Amino acid sequence: MLISWRYRERNTLIQKLDPRARWIFLLTVMFSVIQFWDIRFLAFFLGLSLVYYFLARLTWKETRRVWTFVLILVVVIIGLNALITGRGGSTAVLRDTRHTVWEVRWVVPGVGWTIHLFITVEKIVFALAQMMRMLTIAVLFIPVAFTFNPNHYGVTFRRLGLPDKVAFSMDLAFRFVPTLAHDFSLTLDAQRARGYEVEKLSGGLIAQIRKMAPLIVPVTINAIVGAEDIVNAMDLRCFGLRPRTWLQELRYAPRDDALIGFSVVVLVGSLLARALLRIGDFWVPDAVLRLFGF
Amino acid sequence: MERKKWYAFGTREVVYSALGAALYGVLSFATNMLALPAAGNLALRPAVCIPMFFGVAFGPWVGFITGFLGNIIGDALSGWGFWFWWDLGNGLMGLIPGFAASMITNYRATRSFVVADLFSILGVIVGMGLASLSEIWVSGIDLNTATVGYFLPAALTDIVNGIILVPILMVAYAAIVGRTGR
Repeated sequence: MLISWRYRERNTLIQKLDPRARWIFLLTVMFSVIQFWDIRFLAFFLGLSLVYYFLARLTWKETRRVWTFVLILVVVIIGLNALITGRGGSTAVLRDTRHTVWEVRWVVPGVGWTIHLFITVEKIVFALAQMMRMLTIAVLFIPVAFTFNPNHYGVTFRRLGLPDKVAFSMDLAFRFVPTLAHDFSLTLDAQRARGYEVEKLSGGLIAQIRKMAPLIVPVTINAIVGAEDIVNAMDLRCFGLRPRTWLQELRYAPRDDALIGFSVVVLVGSLLARALLRIGDFWVPDAVLRLFGF
Repeated sequence: MERKKWYAFGTREVVYSALGAALYGVLSFATNMLALPAAGNLALRPAVCIPMFFGVAFGPWVGFITGFLGNIIGDALSGWGFWFWWDLGNGLMGLIPGFAASMITNYRATRSFVVADLFSILGVIVGMGLASLSEIWVSGIDLNTATVGYFLPAALTDIVNGIILVPILMVAYAAIVGRTGR
Protein backbone atom coordinates (compact mmCIF):
# COMPACT_ATOMS: atom_id res chain seq x y z
CA MET A 1 0.00 0.00 0.00
CA LEU A 2 1.42 3.34 -1.00
CA ILE A 3 0.74 6.22 1.32
CA SER A 4 1.41 9.82 0.48
CA TRP A 5 0.42 13.23 1.72
CA ARG A 6 -2.10 15.17 -0.30
CA TYR A 7 0.15 18.17 0.16
CA ARG A 8 2.37 19.34 -2.66
CA GLU A 9 4.16 22.57 -3.42
CA ARG A 10 2.07 24.64 -5.84
CA ASN A 11 3.80 28.04 -5.83
CA THR A 12 0.57 29.83 -4.97
CA LEU A 13 -0.06 32.97 -2.97
CA ILE A 14 -1.76 30.85 -0.29
CA GLN A 15 1.33 28.71 0.17
CA LYS A 16 3.59 31.75 0.30
CA LEU A 17 1.73 32.97 3.38
CA ASP A 18 3.05 32.14 6.82
CA PRO A 19 1.15 29.05 8.12
CA ARG A 20 0.41 30.84 11.41
CA ALA A 21 -1.27 33.70 9.58
CA ARG A 22 -3.33 31.19 7.60
CA TRP A 23 -4.51 29.35 10.73
CA ILE A 24 -5.45 32.67 12.35
CA PHE A 25 -7.42 33.61 9.22
CA LEU A 26 -9.21 30.24 9.04
CA LEU A 27 -10.20 30.18 12.70
CA THR A 28 -11.33 33.82 12.86
CA VAL A 29 -13.46 33.45 9.72
CA MET A 30 -14.98 30.23 11.07
CA PHE A 31 -15.90 31.88 14.38
CA SER A 32 -17.24 34.91 12.50
CA VAL A 33 -19.45 33.02 10.07
CA ILE A 34 -21.21 31.02 12.78
CA GLN A 35 -22.50 34.28 14.28
CA PHE A 36 -24.80 34.97 11.32
CA TRP A 37 -28.08 33.77 9.81
CA ASP A 38 -28.60 36.68 7.41
CA ILE A 39 -27.85 35.45 3.89
CA ARG A 40 -26.28 38.83 2.94
CA PHE A 41 -23.55 38.33 5.55
CA LEU A 42 -23.28 34.64 4.72
CA ALA A 43 -22.84 35.51 1.04
CA PHE A 44 -19.89 37.75 2.01
CA PHE A 45 -18.23 34.92 3.96
CA LEU A 46 -18.94 32.35 1.26
CA GLY A 47 -17.38 34.69 -1.31
CA LEU A 48 -14.36 35.19 0.93
CA SER A 49 -13.86 31.46 1.41
CA LEU A 50 -14.28 30.82 -2.33
CA VAL A 51 -11.57 33.40 -3.11
CA TYR A 52 -9.31 31.64 -0.60
CA TYR A 53 -10.18 28.24 -2.10
CA PHE A 54 -9.47 29.26 -5.70
CA LEU A 55 -6.21 30.94 -4.70
CA ALA A 56 -5.12 27.50 -3.43
CA ARG A 57 -5.40 26.23 -7.05
CA LEU A 58 -6.63 22.74 -6.22
CA THR A 59 -7.70 20.52 -9.07
CA TRP A 60 -11.07 18.83 -9.39
CA LYS A 61 -9.35 15.45 -9.67
CA GLU A 62 -7.71 15.70 -6.27
CA THR A 63 -10.73 17.14 -4.47
CA ARG A 64 -13.52 15.16 -6.18
CA ARG A 65 -14.00 12.70 -3.30
CA VAL A 66 -14.22 15.32 -0.60
CA TRP A 67 -16.55 17.50 -2.70
CA THR A 68 -18.91 14.54 -3.21
CA PHE A 69 -19.02 14.01 0.54
CA VAL A 70 -19.46 17.71 1.33
CA LEU A 71 -22.21 18.21 -1.24
CA ILE A 72 -24.17 15.16 -0.02
CA LEU A 73 -23.82 16.44 3.53
CA VAL A 74 -24.76 20.02 2.70
CA VAL A 75 -27.61 19.33 0.28
CA VAL A 76 -29.17 16.12 1.57
CA ILE A 77 -28.54 16.04 5.30
CA ILE A 78 -28.49 19.78 6.03
CA GLY A 79 -30.44 21.39 3.16
CA LEU A 80 -33.34 18.96 2.68
CA ASN A 81 -33.77 18.52 6.41
CA ALA A 82 -33.95 22.29 6.93
CA LEU A 83 -36.32 22.68 3.97
CA ILE A 84 -38.79 20.02 5.15
CA THR A 85 -38.63 20.39 8.92
CA GLY A 86 -37.17 23.88 9.43
CA ARG A 87 -35.56 22.49 12.57
CA GLY A 88 -32.88 24.67 14.08
CA GLY A 89 -34.65 27.77 12.85
CA SER A 90 -36.55 30.52 14.64
CA THR A 91 -40.30 30.43 15.40
CA ALA A 92 -40.91 32.24 12.09
CA VAL A 93 -39.33 29.32 10.26
CA LEU A 94 -40.97 26.58 12.30
CA ARG A 95 -44.55 27.89 12.78
CA ASP A 96 -45.31 30.68 10.30
CA THR A 97 -47.55 29.31 7.54
CA ARG A 98 -48.55 32.60 5.88
CA HIS A 99 -46.09 32.12 3.02
CA THR A 100 -46.71 28.45 2.28
CA VAL A 101 -45.62 27.39 -1.21
CA TRP A 102 -46.29 23.65 -0.93
CA GLU A 103 -48.29 21.58 1.52
CA VAL A 104 -49.39 17.97 1.98
CA ARG A 105 -51.54 16.26 4.61
CA TRP A 106 -51.50 12.49 4.77
CA VAL A 107 -53.40 10.27 7.17
CA VAL A 108 -51.54 7.05 7.95
CA PRO A 109 -53.94 4.18 7.24
CA GLY A 110 -54.81 2.04 10.23
CA VAL A 111 -53.50 4.32 12.99
CA GLY A 112 -55.08 7.57 11.80
CA TRP A 113 -52.03 9.77 12.45
CA THR A 114 -51.88 12.89 10.31
CA ILE A 115 -48.58 13.85 8.75
CA HIS A 116 -48.53 17.53 7.83
CA LEU A 117 -45.61 18.69 5.73
CA PHE A 118 -45.36 22.23 4.44
CA ILE A 119 -42.69 24.28 2.77
CA THR A 120 -42.72 28.02 3.31
CA VAL A 121 -40.65 30.84 1.87
CA GLU A 122 -39.06 31.16 5.31
CA LYS A 123 -38.02 27.51 5.27
CA ILE A 124 -36.51 27.86 1.79
CA VAL A 125 -34.43 30.89 2.85
CA PHE A 126 -33.49 29.16 6.11
CA ALA A 127 -32.32 26.04 4.23
CA LEU A 128 -30.29 28.29 1.92
CA ALA A 129 -28.71 30.06 4.90
CA GLN A 130 -27.85 26.79 6.61
CA MET A 131 -26.28 25.38 3.45
CA MET A 132 -24.27 28.60 2.96
CA ARG A 133 -22.90 28.43 6.51
CA MET A 134 -21.87 24.80 6.15
CA LEU A 135 -20.45 25.30 2.67
CA THR A 136 -18.40 28.32 3.78
CA ILE A 137 -16.72 26.33 6.53
CA ALA A 138 -16.14 23.31 4.27
CA VAL A 139 -14.67 25.46 1.47
CA LEU A 140 -12.36 27.17 3.98
CA PHE A 141 -10.96 23.97 5.41
CA ILE A 142 -10.78 21.66 2.36
CA PRO A 143 -7.45 23.19 1.23
CA VAL A 144 -5.79 22.48 4.61
CA ALA A 145 -4.78 18.92 3.75
CA PHE A 146 -3.55 19.94 0.29
CA THR A 147 -1.65 23.12 1.05
CA PHE A 148 -0.14 22.86 4.55
CA ASN A 149 3.30 21.26 4.61
CA PRO A 150 3.12 18.40 7.17
CA ASN A 151 6.72 19.17 8.18
CA HIS A 152 5.66 22.61 9.38
CA TYR A 153 2.83 21.60 11.74
CA GLY A 154 5.10 21.30 14.79
CA VAL A 155 6.88 24.62 14.44
CA THR A 156 3.67 26.39 13.41
CA PHE A 157 1.76 25.39 16.52
CA ARG A 158 4.81 25.95 18.73
CA ARG A 159 5.03 29.52 17.46
CA LEU A 160 1.28 29.88 17.97
CA GLY A 161 1.85 29.18 21.67
CA LEU A 162 1.59 25.41 22.13
CA PRO A 163 4.07 23.89 24.63
CA ASP A 164 7.34 22.59 23.20
CA LYS A 165 6.59 18.95 24.03
CA VAL A 166 3.16 18.96 22.41
CA ALA A 167 4.50 20.70 19.31
CA PHE A 168 7.34 18.18 19.09
CA SER A 169 4.79 15.39 19.42
CA MET A 170 2.99 16.78 16.37
CA ASP A 171 6.24 17.03 14.46
CA LEU A 172 7.22 13.47 15.38
CA ALA A 173 3.78 12.08 14.49
CA PHE A 174 4.05 13.29 10.90
CA ARG A 175 7.52 11.73 10.66
CA PHE A 176 6.23 8.35 11.90
CA VAL A 177 3.56 8.08 9.21
CA PRO A 178 5.63 6.64 6.30
CA THR A 179 7.30 4.04 8.57
CA LEU A 180 4.01 2.90 10.07
CA ALA A 181 2.38 2.75 6.65
CA HIS A 182 5.24 0.51 5.50
CA ASP A 183 4.80 -1.71 8.61
CA PHE A 184 1.06 -1.94 7.98
CA SER A 185 1.68 -2.95 4.37
CA LEU A 186 4.16 -5.67 5.44
CA THR A 187 1.75 -7.01 8.05
CA LEU A 188 -1.10 -7.08 5.56
CA ASP A 189 1.03 -9.01 3.05
CA ALA A 190 2.23 -11.42 5.75
CA GLN A 191 -1.31 -12.14 6.92
CA ARG A 192 -2.52 -12.57 3.34
CA ALA A 193 0.28 -15.09 2.76
CA ARG A 194 -1.21 -17.05 5.70
CA GLY A 195 -4.64 -17.05 4.03
CA TYR A 196 -6.15 -14.01 5.76
CA GLU A 197 -8.64 -12.32 3.45
CA VAL A 198 -9.43 -8.89 4.78
CA GLU A 199 -11.91 -8.13 2.00
CA LYS A 200 -13.94 -11.28 2.73
CA LEU A 201 -14.46 -11.18 6.48
CA SER A 202 -17.47 -13.32 7.27
CA GLY A 203 -19.89 -13.32 10.19
CA GLY A 204 -21.81 -10.57 11.94
CA LEU A 205 -20.56 -7.15 12.88
CA ILE A 206 -18.85 -8.32 16.09
CA ALA A 207 -17.19 -11.28 14.37
CA GLN A 208 -15.94 -9.03 11.58
CA ILE A 209 -14.45 -6.54 14.02
CA ARG A 210 -12.73 -9.33 15.97
CA LYS A 211 -11.23 -10.58 12.72
CA MET A 212 -9.55 -7.20 12.23
CA ALA A 213 -7.32 -7.94 15.22
CA PRO A 214 -4.67 -9.89 13.23
CA LEU A 215 -4.10 -6.72 11.23
CA ILE A 216 -4.27 -4.06 13.96
CA VAL A 217 -2.56 -5.81 16.88
CA PRO A 218 0.82 -6.68 15.26
CA VAL A 219 1.22 -3.18 13.79
CA THR A 220 0.37 -1.51 17.10
CA ILE A 221 2.49 -3.73 19.34
CA ASN A 222 5.51 -3.66 17.00
CA ALA A 223 5.31 0.13 16.94
CA ILE A 224 5.16 0.29 20.76
CA VAL A 225 8.19 -2.00 21.12
CA GLY A 226 10.16 0.14 18.66
CA ALA A 227 9.10 3.35 20.39
CA GLU A 228 10.88 2.36 23.60
CA ASP A 229 14.21 2.75 21.78
CA ILE A 230 13.21 6.23 20.68
CA VAL A 231 12.23 7.16 24.25
CA ASN A 232 15.61 5.93 25.52
CA ALA A 233 17.51 7.79 22.79
CA MET A 234 15.67 11.03 23.55
CA ASP A 235 16.17 10.65 27.30
CA LEU A 236 19.89 10.08 26.76
CA ARG A 237 20.01 13.35 24.80
CA CYS A 238 18.25 15.16 27.69
CA PHE A 239 15.09 15.90 25.73
CA GLY A 240 12.83 18.43 27.41
CA LEU A 241 15.39 20.03 29.72
CA ARG A 242 15.70 23.19 27.63
CA PRO A 243 13.49 24.94 25.08
CA ARG A 244 13.85 23.34 21.67
CA THR A 245 15.13 24.96 18.55
CA TRP A 246 13.47 24.13 15.23
CA LEU A 247 14.98 23.49 11.83
CA GLN A 248 12.38 25.65 10.12
CA GLU A 249 12.21 29.30 11.11
CA LEU A 250 8.94 31.09 10.45
CA ARG A 251 8.99 34.82 9.75
CA TYR A 252 6.04 37.08 9.17
CA ALA A 253 6.13 39.07 5.94
CA PRO A 254 4.07 42.26 5.42
CA ARG A 255 1.41 40.20 3.59
CA ASP A 256 1.05 37.99 6.69
CA ASP A 257 0.58 41.04 8.89
CA ALA A 258 -2.07 42.26 6.44
CA LEU A 259 -3.89 38.91 6.55
CA ILE A 260 -3.82 38.80 10.37
CA GLY A 261 -5.04 42.40 10.52
CA PHE A 262 -7.87 41.60 8.13
CA SER A 263 -8.79 38.49 10.15
CA VAL A 264 -8.95 40.48 13.38
CA VAL A 265 -11.10 43.16 11.72
CA VAL A 266 -13.50 40.48 10.41
CA LEU A 267 -13.82 38.81 13.81
CA VAL A 268 -14.19 42.03 15.82
CA GLY A 269 -16.58 43.43 13.21
CA SER A 270 -18.72 40.29 13.37
CA LEU A 271 -18.86 40.32 17.16
CA LEU A 272 -19.75 44.02 17.23
CA ALA A 273 -22.39 43.60 14.51
CA ARG A 274 -24.09 40.86 16.54
CA ALA A 275 -23.63 42.21 20.07
CA LEU A 276 -23.96 45.99 19.64
CA LEU A 277 -25.74 46.63 16.34
CA ARG A 278 -27.89 43.49 16.64
CA ILE A 279 -27.74 42.81 12.90
CA GLY A 280 -27.23 39.52 11.11
CA ASP A 281 -30.32 37.63 12.34
CA PHE A 282 -32.42 35.49 10.02
CA TRP A 283 -33.80 37.64 7.20
CA VAL A 284 -36.19 36.90 4.35
CA PRO A 285 -35.59 39.12 1.27
CA ASP A 286 -38.70 40.78 -0.17
CA ALA A 287 -37.54 39.68 -3.61
CA VAL A 288 -37.90 36.03 -2.61
CA LEU A 289 -41.40 36.65 -1.25
CA ARG A 290 -42.35 38.34 -4.52
CA LEU A 291 -40.79 35.48 -6.46
CA PHE A 292 -43.29 33.10 -4.87
CA GLY A 293 -46.19 35.53 -5.36
CA PHE A 294 -46.50 37.01 -1.83
CA MET B 1 3.51 -2.20 39.33
CA GLU B 2 4.05 1.47 40.12
CA ARG B 3 0.93 3.67 39.90
CA LYS B 4 1.08 6.18 37.08
CA LYS B 5 0.50 9.90 37.51
CA TRP B 6 -2.30 10.76 35.09
CA TYR B 7 -1.07 14.28 34.39
CA ALA B 8 2.55 13.31 33.60
CA PHE B 9 3.81 14.39 30.17
CA GLY B 10 7.46 13.47 29.79
CA THR B 11 9.56 12.05 26.99
CA ARG B 12 7.64 8.77 27.03
CA GLU B 13 4.32 10.56 26.62
CA VAL B 14 5.72 12.75 23.81
CA VAL B 15 6.82 9.68 21.84
CA TYR B 16 3.68 7.62 22.49
CA SER B 17 1.41 10.55 21.63
CA ALA B 18 3.20 10.91 18.32
CA LEU B 19 3.18 7.18 17.70
CA GLY B 20 -0.50 6.83 18.60
CA ALA B 21 -1.48 9.75 16.38
CA ALA B 22 0.49 8.39 13.43
CA LEU B 23 -0.96 4.90 13.96
CA TYR B 24 -4.51 6.21 14.22
CA GLY B 25 -4.06 8.30 11.09
CA VAL B 26 -2.48 5.48 9.07
CA LEU B 27 -4.93 2.79 10.22
CA SER B 28 -7.94 5.05 9.57
CA PHE B 29 -6.66 5.80 6.09
CA ALA B 30 -5.66 2.19 5.38
CA THR B 31 -8.88 0.58 6.58
CA ASN B 32 -10.84 3.12 4.54
CA MET B 33 -8.84 2.18 1.46
CA LEU B 34 -9.40 -1.56 2.00
CA ALA B 35 -13.18 -1.15 1.54
CA LEU B 36 -14.02 -3.37 4.47
CA PRO B 37 -17.40 -5.07 4.57
CA ALA B 38 -20.05 -3.44 6.73
CA ALA B 39 -23.27 -4.48 8.39
CA GLY B 40 -26.26 -2.56 7.02
CA ASN B 41 -25.35 1.09 6.71
CA LEU B 42 -22.81 0.92 9.54
CA ALA B 43 -19.24 1.35 8.31
CA LEU B 44 -16.46 -0.46 10.13
CA ARG B 45 -13.97 1.97 11.67
CA PRO B 46 -11.72 -0.40 13.62
CA ALA B 47 -8.96 2.19 14.02
CA VAL B 48 -10.97 4.04 16.71
CA CYS B 49 -9.64 1.51 19.21
CA ILE B 50 -6.19 3.18 18.93
CA PRO B 51 -6.90 6.43 20.85
CA MET B 52 -8.88 4.44 23.44
CA PHE B 53 -6.09 1.91 23.90
CA PHE B 54 -3.32 4.55 23.98
CA GLY B 55 -5.35 6.41 26.60
CA VAL B 56 -5.76 3.26 28.72
CA ALA B 57 -2.09 2.29 28.37
CA PHE B 58 -0.32 5.66 28.55
CA GLY B 59 -2.71 8.13 30.17
CA PRO B 60 -5.18 10.86 29.18
CA TRP B 61 -2.83 13.31 27.45
CA VAL B 62 -1.45 10.58 25.21
CA GLY B 63 -5.01 9.42 24.48
CA PHE B 64 -6.12 12.96 23.70
CA ILE B 65 -3.25 13.77 21.32
CA THR B 66 -3.61 10.35 19.69
CA GLY B 67 -7.27 10.97 18.91
CA PHE B 68 -7.05 14.66 18.08
CA LEU B 69 -3.90 14.63 15.99
CA GLY B 70 -4.55 11.16 14.59
CA ASN B 71 -7.85 12.33 13.14
CA ILE B 72 -6.11 15.34 11.59
CA ILE B 73 -3.47 13.04 10.07
CA GLY B 74 -6.11 10.61 8.76
CA ASP B 75 -7.94 13.53 7.14
CA ALA B 76 -4.69 14.93 5.77
CA LEU B 77 -3.89 11.58 4.16
CA SER B 78 -7.40 11.18 2.74
CA GLY B 79 -7.79 14.84 1.76
CA TRP B 80 -10.88 15.45 3.89
CA GLY B 81 -9.86 18.90 5.11
CA PHE B 82 -9.95 19.99 8.74
CA TRP B 83 -12.98 19.53 11.04
CA PHE B 84 -11.95 20.99 14.37
CA TRP B 85 -14.89 19.79 16.50
CA TRP B 86 -14.67 16.23 15.17
CA ASP B 87 -10.91 16.24 15.81
CA LEU B 88 -11.64 17.44 19.35
CA GLY B 89 -14.30 14.73 19.74
CA ASN B 90 -11.80 12.10 18.69
CA GLY B 91 -9.36 13.57 21.19
CA LEU B 92 -11.91 13.16 23.98
CA MET B 93 -12.42 9.55 22.87
CA GLY B 94 -8.80 9.00 23.90
CA LEU B 95 -8.67 11.41 26.85
CA ILE B 96 -11.48 9.87 28.89
CA PRO B 97 -10.27 6.23 28.67
CA GLY B 98 -6.95 7.71 29.80
CA PHE B 99 -8.42 8.32 33.25
CA ALA B 100 -8.69 4.55 33.57
CA ALA B 101 -4.91 4.22 33.16
CA SER B 102 -4.19 4.85 36.83
CA MET B 103 -6.74 2.15 37.82
CA ILE B 104 -5.23 -0.55 35.63
CA THR B 105 -2.14 -2.45 36.75
CA ASN B 106 -2.79 -5.86 35.24
CA TYR B 107 -3.65 -5.69 31.55
CA ARG B 108 -4.93 -9.29 31.53
CA ALA B 109 -7.43 -9.03 34.38
CA THR B 110 -11.15 -9.15 33.61
CA ARG B 111 -11.66 -6.18 35.93
CA SER B 112 -9.22 -4.16 33.80
CA PHE B 113 -11.14 -5.02 30.63
CA VAL B 114 -14.39 -3.90 32.24
CA VAL B 115 -12.86 -0.63 33.48
CA ALA B 116 -11.22 0.06 30.10
CA ASP B 117 -14.43 -0.68 28.21
CA LEU B 118 -16.58 1.46 30.50
CA PHE B 119 -14.25 4.43 30.15
CA SER B 120 -14.05 3.85 26.39
CA ILE B 121 -17.84 3.91 26.11
CA LEU B 122 -17.96 7.09 28.19
CA GLY B 123 -15.25 8.57 25.96
CA VAL B 124 -17.23 7.81 22.81
CA ILE B 125 -20.43 9.26 24.27
CA VAL B 126 -18.71 12.48 25.39
CA GLY B 127 -16.45 12.79 22.33
CA MET B 128 -18.97 12.02 19.62
CA GLY B 129 -21.62 13.85 21.65
CA LEU B 130 -19.56 17.03 21.69
CA ALA B 131 -18.70 16.71 17.99
CA SER B 132 -22.35 16.11 17.04
CA LEU B 133 -23.68 18.88 19.29
CA SER B 134 -21.08 21.27 17.86
CA GLU B 135 -22.94 21.00 14.55
CA ILE B 136 -25.86 22.78 16.26
CA TRP B 137 -23.92 26.03 16.56
CA VAL B 138 -21.64 25.47 13.57
CA SER B 139 -24.16 24.27 10.96
CA GLY B 140 -27.29 25.42 12.79
CA ILE B 141 -28.95 21.99 12.82
CA ASP B 142 -31.34 20.97 15.59
CA LEU B 143 -30.78 18.51 18.43
CA ASN B 144 -32.80 15.76 16.74
CA THR B 145 -30.71 15.86 13.54
CA ALA B 146 -27.50 16.07 15.55
CA THR B 147 -28.52 12.99 17.52
CA VAL B 148 -30.03 10.82 14.79
CA GLY B 149 -27.97 12.00 11.82
CA TYR B 150 -24.56 12.37 13.46
CA PHE B 151 -24.26 11.03 17.01
CA LEU B 152 -25.94 7.61 16.84
CA PRO B 153 -24.28 6.29 13.64
CA ALA B 154 -20.85 7.44 14.83
CA ALA B 155 -21.15 6.44 18.48
CA LEU B 156 -22.70 3.00 18.01
CA THR B 157 -20.01 1.69 15.69
CA ASP B 158 -17.22 3.32 17.70
CA ILE B 159 -18.49 1.71 20.91
CA VAL B 160 -18.70 -1.75 19.32
CA ASN B 161 -15.21 -1.38 17.82
CA GLY B 162 -13.81 -0.11 21.11
CA ILE B 163 -15.23 -2.72 23.46
CA ILE B 164 -14.04 -5.57 21.22
CA LEU B 165 -10.61 -4.37 20.14
CA VAL B 166 -9.35 -2.51 23.25
CA PRO B 167 -9.25 -5.67 25.44
CA ILE B 168 -7.51 -7.58 22.62
CA LEU B 169 -4.85 -4.86 22.42
CA MET B 170 -4.53 -4.86 26.23
CA VAL B 171 -3.77 -8.60 26.27
CA ALA B 172 -1.18 -8.16 23.53
CA TYR B 173 0.33 -5.19 25.37
CA ALA B 174 0.53 -7.21 28.61
CA ALA B 175 2.98 -9.51 26.87
CA ILE B 176 5.44 -6.68 26.21
CA VAL B 177 4.81 -4.29 29.10
CA GLY B 178 7.27 -6.09 31.39
CA ARG B 179 10.03 -5.69 28.82
CA THR B 180 10.10 -1.91 29.01
CA GLY B 181 11.45 -1.91 32.56
CA ARG B 182 9.46 1.23 33.42
